[in-house]
Amino acid sequence: MSKIKVLIVDDEQDFVKLFVKRFVMRNLDVEGVTSGQQALEYLRENAVDVVVLDVKMPGMDGLETLQEIKKRHPVVEVIMLTGHGSVKSGIQGISLGAYDYVLKPFKIEDLLERILKAYERSRLNRGR
Amino acid sequence: MQTTRICCGRKSNCLHKLLIVERYVAPVVTLLVALAALQVGGRNGLFIAVSCAVILVLLGFRLWWDLTGSQKEIQVLNAQLIQSQKLSALGELSAGVAHEINNPLAVITQEVELMEMLLPRARFEQQEDRNDFVECLTEIDRQVERCCRITRGMLDFARKREAVIQETDMNQLIDDMVRLVELEIRNKDIFIERRYAEPAPCVNTDPPLLRQVILNLLNNASQAMGGDGRIIITTCRTEDGGAELRFKDTGPGIAKEHLDKIFNPFFTTKEPGKGTGLGLSICMRIVNELGGTLAVESERGKGAEFIVCLPSLTQSED
Repeated sequence: MSKIKVLIVDDEQDFVKLFVKRFVMRNLDVEGVTSGQQALEYLRENAVDVVVLDVKMPGMDGLETLQEIKKRHPVVEVIMLTGHGSVKSGIQGISLGAYDYVLKPFKIEDLLERILKAYERSRLNRGR
Repeated sequence: MQTTRICCGRKSNCLHKLLIVERYVAPVVTLLVALAALQVGGRNGLFIAVSCAVILVLLGFRLWWDLTGSQKEIQVLNAQLIQSQKLSALGELSAGVAHEINNPLAVITQEVELMEMLLPRARFEQQEDRNDFVECLTEIDRQVERCCRITRGMLDFARKREAVIQETDMNQLIDDMVRLVELEIRNKDIFIERRYAEPAPCVNTDPPLLRQVILNLLNNASQAMGGDGRIIITTCRTEDGGAELRFKDTGPGIAKEHLDKIFNPFFTTKEPGKGTGLGLSICMRIVNELGGTLAVESERGKGAEFIVCLPSLTQSED
């Protein structure tokens, strides 16, 4: 089985670094970027299974990025990360096609499980 | 295209055979036995004939009972079918309207932007006029944004969602959404009580679609109650391997005359501009697409309870 390809998008550089390190240790193929614009550029050139996307970012925010990702790459699954947690953005995110909504801070095992579920879904979708 | 269907096991097949025996074989056999017993005559014969007659009456009663039961079921299914057909027809209509309205809205937005750009060069007789003008533009902007919100809602309502079936832990899925809502209501005096079935009901369904339904229902419940109250969430497994999820609140409840309207698109009791009235109809559409039912029980002043029944689905493509 090939490795699951994950892209983490968060404006906090340190968080992204740590995230990549921890998930590479779990045998995932992880890449990190720090803005929505960079995420879209990365997706244009590289195949990705699951994007983990922070809701609150300066510039292009999480919801806008989600909308663009879903428009351009419908089979890529997106898991939203949020620190403050707002029901309104939750409803928006999920109705825009986010796979899951995860509150920060999260347990690594928990998020890994969700990434696996999202990956399963994107594989089911690709198999069509 | 892909559809989802409810998995019927061997059990119902077996039941069906038993029903045929009961309806067609048993009455004939009993009648024949009764006639034979009458022919034989004597006390024993009479006794057997009478017991056969009793059995016939019982069988007849059961048949009548089943028939009235199925008639009720047909009525319920018919109502559900009409509801879901109505929603899908309205979906097509609203998608058409939304697309048509989005084009002029885009033009208005661009024109307003152009006016804002030209504004510094414009000359006004009085400063007051300029202020008025700026205010008008801002108001147009705001109203266009409001229209966009409505058309977005309409498109979301109309969107064809292709269910992707995954095994899902109901308790966990609900609890994720509950924690999100709890963060939002931490300043209010609302308590969410979890009455989850153990072990957790696991159902094959589409997780993100179901999340949308549950988040909407929880959001409605917390908004209905305002400052204080209690939301009770119950999950349980159903006999056919699906799950029943109940969301009860202690809010003001729903007026009787509104009960059969609340799933209609654009029905809202909120102030104009506050809600699009599409939340519950979107929920209804999603639950229908997942092969389940969404119902409400409420009395004015006694809160409301929303009941989601979901079957366990199998993915099939055709």
